[in-house]
Amino acid sequence: MSEFVQLGSVNERPRPPRADELQLQFSDLAIAELNQLLTHYPDKKSAILPGLWIAQREYNGYLSGEAIAEVAYRLERSYAEVEGVATFYSMYNTKHAVGQHMIEVCTCLSCQVCGVYPLAQYIKKKLGINFGETTEDGMFTLHEVECLNACDRAPVLQVGDQYHGPVDEAYVDRLIEQLRTSDVNTVTQMADCIVKVQTGPLTEPTSPTTNPTPTAAKRGRLKVDATG
Amino acid sequence: MAEYKLLFEHAHDPEFKTLKGYLAKGGYSALKKAIGIPAQSIIDEVKASGLRGRGGAGFPTWIKWNGLPKDKSHGKKHYIVCNADEGEPGTFKDKQLMEATPFLLVEGMTLAAMATGGDVGFIYIRGEFLDAAKALRAAIDEAYANGYLGQNILGSGKNFDLYIHLGAGSYECGEESALMSSIMGERGMPRLKFPHVPLPTISGLWDSPTLINNVETYCCAPFIVNKGGAWYATLGASTKNSRGTKIFSVSGHVNKPGNYEIEFGTTLAELLEMSGGMKGGSLKACVPGGSSVPIMNADQVNKAVIGYEEMWDAGSMVGSGGCMFLNDKTCIVQFIWRTALFYANESCGKCTPCREGTKWMLQILERIVEGNGQEGDVELLMDITKQIDGRSFCGLGDAAAWPVAGAIKVFPEEFDFYVKNGKSLVNSNLKLLPV
Repeated sequence: MSEFVQLGSVNERPRPPRADELQLQFSDLAIAELNQLLTHYPDKKSAILPGLWIAQREYNGYLSGEAIAEVAYRLERSYAEVEGVATFYSMYNTKHAVGQHMIEVCTCLSCQVCGVYPLAQYIKKKLGINFGETTEDGMFTLHEVECLNACDRAPVLQVGDQYHGPVDEAYVDRLIEQLRTSDVNTVTQMADCIVKVQTGPLTEPTSPTTNPTPTAAKRGRLKVDATG
Repeated sequence: MAEYKLLFEHAHDPEFKTLKGYLAKGGYSALKKAIGIPAQSIIDEVKASGLRGRGGAGFPTWIKWNGLPKDKSHGKKHYIVCNADEGEPGTFKDKQLMEATPFLLVEGMTLAAMATGGDVGFIYIRGEFLDAAKALRAAIDEAYANGYLGQNILGSGKNFDLYIHLGAGSYECGEESALMSSIMGERGMPRLKFPHVPLPTISGLWDSPTLINNVETYCCAPFIVNKGGAWYATLGASTKNSRGTKIFSVSGHVNKPGNYEIEFGTTLAELLEMSGGMKGGSLKACVPGGSSVPIMNADQVNKAVIGYEEMWDAGSMVGSGGCMFLNDKTCIVQFIWRTALFYANESCGKCTPCREGTKWMLQILERIVEGNGQEGDVELLMDITKQIDGRSFCGLGDAAAWPVAGAIKVFPEEFDFYVKNGKSLVNSNLKLLPV
């Protein structure tokens, strides 16, 4: 018993990362957004979820360990705590970097009975990748997701902030063709939307940004013609 | 009976999304009325209306509203939370409510704040629902700019702030204690519940009194305050204890899938008729209230009347209103396999019966679906459902066990045939093909 007491008193308590341990740096815009978000909650811990969304947008849709450390530093929580939260939620991409467009295929019940599995097979063959993989050119990442709750439009896909459905093979062809030629980064577009929705109208910082948001120029909404 | 459009009356009017259009249709008259009357009488109206929680459990709404401390001498803020983490497969009513009638939700939450002394509100929307979040954002901004939110609302001297909190793709966060964990920046895992700890209305978010209701429940509040609880209670009066309207999200093999608002007391067969009837075959089965409720066969569907108690008598539940109709070419075993996969994916991993049990059910169903079923597998599945049901920390365990147990009870011959012959009775293929 006494050994345990000793261990507890000798070992360092989990602490937030220090500034000199960070390898990444939020842009001024991101810091301003995070500060505005903090006004919604009584403590800094509660801003972990929106903070992770900001980080995911800042670093092109991928929450690496360094990105998580950045959030932990800003919110004064330990790295382990923030990583624990990030890995729980399926919309944070903590496992691998993602392509420019993430195609999320709903394979849950209503989509299943409306024939999403043969369609998913078609998308996989067309892109030459399996679920959870990215094409070699870094353009597309394919994910299987649980119910997107647009079952009246089954089968449904989500790309960026948009739902597509009902989808058939011809629609997939058109969608992929249009995504290939568009320069919109739909992966960060989605996280960007989420941050904007949470923070509300935000005045862009007037001072010249030392580290501009990498995707600031490429925003806009993608239109896919449903009728062909 | 036909559709009864109360919440959805102006859902197809794009003007209704703006404050101007909302006011033109009589919006915010309930709030103006509520400011002039004591808080308790708002709660009394909700009590008289017989409104029950629309998220799935059907808990009487007024008890929650009445549960928050009446005097605020404890010095804590009161939180009003909206559960918009709609994740139940088959349900998409909250999504349309938020996209088409955002002001109804904002006004409903403001009314709840007036009735219960709320200071700050959070709308917890699942991360995928960006269109809904944007519509609400615009509505909230407009309400702030015109004095319907913020400091001194319409000169009443009361303050109410409303924020949006977006989730990040966890089904478990639809459970109220997990939802609170998620707002407080934690993993979305459920917490101990009453009677082991005080109710959220006493100690919820940041240990402060918290009111949590579903989107549809809040959207009903303006109508109840406006037209009176007694008027609302006349809707659905033919049922035992269900009052008002309910939105059903109809999907699956129907000709016109979509949201249908009906009065309680309508039959399930009428709902099917409204949604254009069956497509590609005759009716075989129906999951009437989201994936977690027991499946019904055609006989049960034809007899079922929609109402909380009536559906229970018919062998299923109203649940969240995600109604999936399946035609006779659907293999129930493969359908249940996908249900089990959903719950295995979404189990948060906190307690053992659910974390392990959902995976075991999936393993057994997977080997049946792949044609490697063994004798006794169906009995083993039944046994596992009994080990999960009622033994897990939150409702997700029960929700995972009920559809499996229900399907085995209602369609035993399909399971037996699949195990014996290694293929589907109806020769359908709804499973993942090998790459």
